Amino acid sequence: MYQYDKKGPKRGIALYSYSAEFGITKNLEDCFQDMYDMGAHGLEILANTHIENYPNPSEEWIAEWFRLLDKYEIIPVEYGNWIDSHMLGYRDLTTEESYELLARDIRLAHRLGFTVMRTKMPVISSALDPVENWREIIKMALPLAEECGIKMCPEIHAPTNLDSQMVRNFVEFIEETGTKNFGLNIDFGVFRNNFDNEPEHRNNFMGSKPEEIIPLLPYVYCCHAKFNHMSDDFEETTIPYKEVVDIMKEHNWDGYLLSEYEGWDKYDPGYEVGQTLRKHHIMLKRYLGD
Amino acid sequence: MLENQVIQSVGFRNIKEDGKVTGFQFRVRIPYYRGIFLCQLRPGSLFVDGKKFEKDQIIWNVNGKDHTAEEMVSDRETHWAVTEPAVIKVKLDGGLEQGFHDLKFGFCFTSSYMPPIMQENLDPDQDPPFIMPEFGHHIHTRRMLIV
Repeated sequence: MYQYDKKGPKRGIALYSYSAEFGITKNLEDCFQDMYDMGAHGLEILANTHIENYPNPSEEWIAEWFRLLDKYEIIPVEYGNWIDSHMLGYRDLTTEESYELLARDIRLAHRLGFTVMRTKMPVISSALDPVENWREIIKMALPLAEECGIKMCPEIHAPTNLDSQMVRNFVEFIEETGTKNFGLNIDFGVFRNNFDNEPEHRNNFMGSKPEEIIPLLPYVYCCHAKFNHMSDDFEETTIPYKEVVDIMKEHNWDGYLLSEYEGWDKYDPGYEVGQTLRKHHIMLKRYLGD
Repeated sequence: MLENQVIQSVGFRNIKEDGKVTGFQFRVRIPYYRGIFLCQLRPGSLFVDGKKFEKDQIIWNVNGKDHTAEEMVSDRETHWAVTEPAVIKVKLDGGLEQGFHDLKFGFCFTSSYMPPIMQENLDPDQDPPFIMPEFGHHIHTRRMLIV
């Protein structure tokens, strides 16, 4: 398997970015080729999107998966999964049933070589509070995650910011259990401080200050390098990227920044998100090196 | 690779069984960035040239297997992928006539990570008040030809 030994923050791509093109004009290998062009070695997939015949991929598909990772020098970093405990609609899944969904994904993530999972929690409020039994579900999964070398990470995503009860609850859980198999994925949208282009997205959101990530860094195993607008000279104009990245470097954070483009314009006819990702990677390469 | 429109032009035809035309079928892709389990699906009605077919008259063929609306309500195992269109089958003696047909088809799906207020009033037969491109429309239309 391909190895990439660079220390510190490293460049990667969240394949979610290709959502308007995947299956229509691009397949998995097309996305990997695009990453290779950019020199982005870290990969995040969405299990329910990018794994053929999910949740039961064939042995042939898995062999092809590893062949493609090698060919395009890609490290399987983060496996995006969902605990879909509201899936039935007429009742919530029990803790045990929710655990079964999660356990199936932990095993599959491990089989595909991943070490981190972006574990999306089911929510119960407009503030995105997770279900009340999230601790029980995660606790049940910790032994399996440990056995498989997987770190489950809920994503901290606007309108939640770093200084929030939700983050405090997650940190408290990590400290109480002492687990190394549950942590955080910070979405860089939490640092957004400029809404000039999209005032409708502000909704009273107060972005976190870059330095607020420092006490969380020991628990951050992956980041979604969210970006909203790249200028023609390759700067992100809505998020103080350089400040955040410099803090991560100074504190010897080691992991992947997975570029994630969520702008709705990517659904416009003819839009090529690869070009948008390349702009972001020109910036990241300048900040992080190769 | 699939067509960008949700209702695919490839796959629209009458169904012939034992030499007799018993209905028609067409294919739809899911306008979402991830696949869903069938219990997340909220199937709606189909209109062909204004004639309505209720969700209970419609068979969803996913991964090569037929599913009724009733069966899908509790199906937590069958996964509908973004890259594999579902085949929509409707019983209709003699099928559809040769020529153009206007199709209008509604369906939507739930997402556990979205605020409950956005999940409680999902109506497959009506577009949401606010369209988010990555969840798509609920109502899909297309004019297509039967040979």
